[in-house]
Amino acid sequence: MRRKFSTLIGALFLLSLILSACGSSDNSSKDSGGTSSNKTNETASTGSGEKVNLSFWTLFDGGDGDNMQALVDKFNQEHPNIQVKNTKLVWAEYYTKLITAVGAGNGPDIGISHISRLPDLINQGVATELDEAAKEAGVDWSTFNQNILDASVYDTKHYAIPIDTHPFIMYYNKALLKTAGLLGEDGKPIIEQSADGFIKFLTTLKEKLPKGKYPFALSNTNDDPFRLWWALYSQQGGNDVVSDDLKSPEIDTAKAVKAADYIKDLYHKYNFIKLNDPDFYKTFQSGNAAIMMTGVWATGTWEKTKGLEFGAMPIPKIYDQQATWGDAHTIILPTTTNEDPEKRKAALIFANWIADNGQIWAKAGHIPAKPAVFDKPEFKEMPYRSDYVSVASTVKFPKHSDKNWQIRDNAMFKYLNEIWSNKMSSTDAFGKIQTEITKILSE
Amino acid sequence: MKKLRIDMQALLFLLPFLIVYVLFTIWPMIKGIEMSFYKWTLIKKLKYVGFDNFKRMFQDDQFWAAVWHSTIFVFLTTPTMIALAIGLALIANRKSRLQKLYRSAFFLPSILSVSVASYLGLFMFQPYTGFINGFLHALGILPEGKEVFWLTEPSLAWIAIAALTLWWTVGFNFILYLSAMQEIPDDMYEAASLDGATRGQMFWRITLPMLNPITRTILMLQIIASYKVFLQIYIITGGGPLDSTRPIIQYIYQTGFRKNDLGYAATMSYMLFAILLVLSIIQYVISNRKEAV
Repeated sequence: MRRKFSTLIGALFLLSLILSACGSSDNSSKDSGGTSSNKTNETASTGSGEKVNLSFWTLFDGGDGDNMQALVDKFNQEHPNIQVKNTKLVWAEYYTKLITAVGAGNGPDIGISHISRLPDLINQGVATELDEAAKEAGVDWSTFNQNILDASVYDTKHYAIPIDTHPFIMYYNKALLKTAGLLGEDGKPIIEQSADGFIKFLTTLKEKLPKGKYPFALSNTNDDPFRLWWALYSQQGGNDVVSDDLKSPEIDTAKAVKAADYIKDLYHKYNFIKLNDPDFYKTFQSGNAAIMMTGVWATGTWEKTKGLEFGAMPIPKIYDQQATWGDAHTIILPTTTNEDPEKRKAALIFANWIADNGQIWAKAGHIPAKPAVFDKPEFKEMPYRSDYVSVASTVKFPKHSDKNWQIRDNAMFKYLNEIWSNKMSSTDAFGKIQTEITKILSE
Repeated sequence: MKKLRIDMQALLFLLPFLIVYVLFTIWPMIKGIEMSFYKWTLIKKLKYVGFDNFKRMFQDDQFWAAVWHSTIFVFLTTPTMIALAIGLALIANRKSRLQKLYRSAFFLPSILSVSVASYLGLFMFQPYTGFINGFLHALGILPEGKEVFWLTEPSLAWIAIAALTLWWTVGFNFILYLSAMQEIPDDMYEAASLDGATRGQMFWRITLPMLNPITRTILMLQIIASYKVFLQIYIITGGGPLDSTRPIIQYIYQTGFRKNDLGYAATMSYMLFAILLVLSIIQYVISNRKEAV
């Protein structure tokens, strides 16, 4: 018996070792996949007039991943001389891998960057300036939405081809609004566009909705309430939280506090929102909330949800001007060892083509970066998108600080979360945010 | 001569492992020392900064807060882990028809990967739909319409994390205790019962002292493992609220890979190494002294 049992222990021990080994080998296999695909491209011929092979690293999965693959396939079909190979990386590890690979000289020919992450990539020497290659490839910068393009230009130099913007917008459940008598003849909500008007709208919902339904679905932490705060802060004319020279924090505290208090009241004074909702997407998706706010990428998800009758619209104008939070996907040319002009030209032909064919990319909900796409019949046929394309011009992009993401994650989220959980006053929180940003910028 | 040949043969067999081990464990450790003296990003080393990273570390409140959080975790989980493992081993060591069921049921959670275990924890502790709150509602302890926010209140979050970790990792220690209990000779208990000892007396006077050596081993392994806690906290609370549950490994990870500051991250890693080394030495000295007596 005793011996039997000790063999059992041994077997379990081995098993646990094997299992833990499985966990870690997962990453390394992905890694080697990325670099080996890259090597095959290095060895391919790159002489002029011959076929150009390009490696392309993306961070998309789900619907976005499928749409990007469809675009790449279509491009390869139409351009026999340029072949693009799409390598999908995991979103959470994408930037780390891109930066290390480029640093080691194994980076791809083409990459994706969020427009808000661009300053960091430029500063680290990962993203290259494109003007010359763009001229060769025949990229016409005037065909892009000016607001998005401006966010990708540094000292009059272009560093990225924007392919979309994905702003923060509002979705509503038509059936629930109808029960509350708040759906107009045109199928759009009846909201008075003001601070009081929005509260009144939600109060009516709270009174008239059946039990168990919430007026508003929003998470209690991190991204989405931060985006709403950013929208309301910008609507009052607030302009980011860092100074123009990007060296120190610059918060318009009165406006910041006003916006934060307004949102805090939605949670704690009026109880419009389910507190600490573990999955606010699901709350809306299952028809338990009348409105919700998040990025446009949710459009594709709601469309696939059976029985969900929804509409999409810009964030209501609570304060003086129309404004919202938004980011954008852009295509960049990472630094490579030989900077082959032929490859760079081919890469920009590809990038420009992707932007031109925004109707496919818009399937997931994104707003194409080229306004000409809005008039394409394929785009017009898709519902909802046209209701919010105007938002592209009112997105307030962050300033060009290479610390954007650090400020967001380590200063903004951290203390705003305390406001949303009613543990800190907005004035105190912004005092702490100021200190934290100073520290981040000085590191 | 012959001995040398055998050694060479042994070396040949060891070589494949040795190469990997040196390349991926020993070499990075040496490299880490070098890194801690530089300003070093993900891409390249920038400049030599001497002891600046160390100076910065000693003045960094966030570093000490994170060390303290890991320490809280060690204090929360180590004694409870030992008590729980002994308790479970006692149950599984009794002669019973369910003996096999006990043994596999207690060990089973250990085969889960950290992410699976953590997501199970999330499902248990989350408000509205989580099992724990639902259970409390069903018992009437928690009034209708009220929720306990396990994951967003610092003290409750610690309880949730510790409970999940205990459930998930107790299996291994349970097995160690169980096999140690089976090593205790039956005649000791027999003699004790002839002398009229009660079950409680037998447990305190025979079982526990006989388990001492394995307890010392478990204590050390457990302290080291608990200081390295990271993923379950990262998944369950993300270190929040307000970084109040952020352990030291998470801070090192964020510094290195999110803030792109590998030099400082390496410095902190060596500090953690030093802390663990000191703890291990203390442990070693104490247990050696006891054995000498």
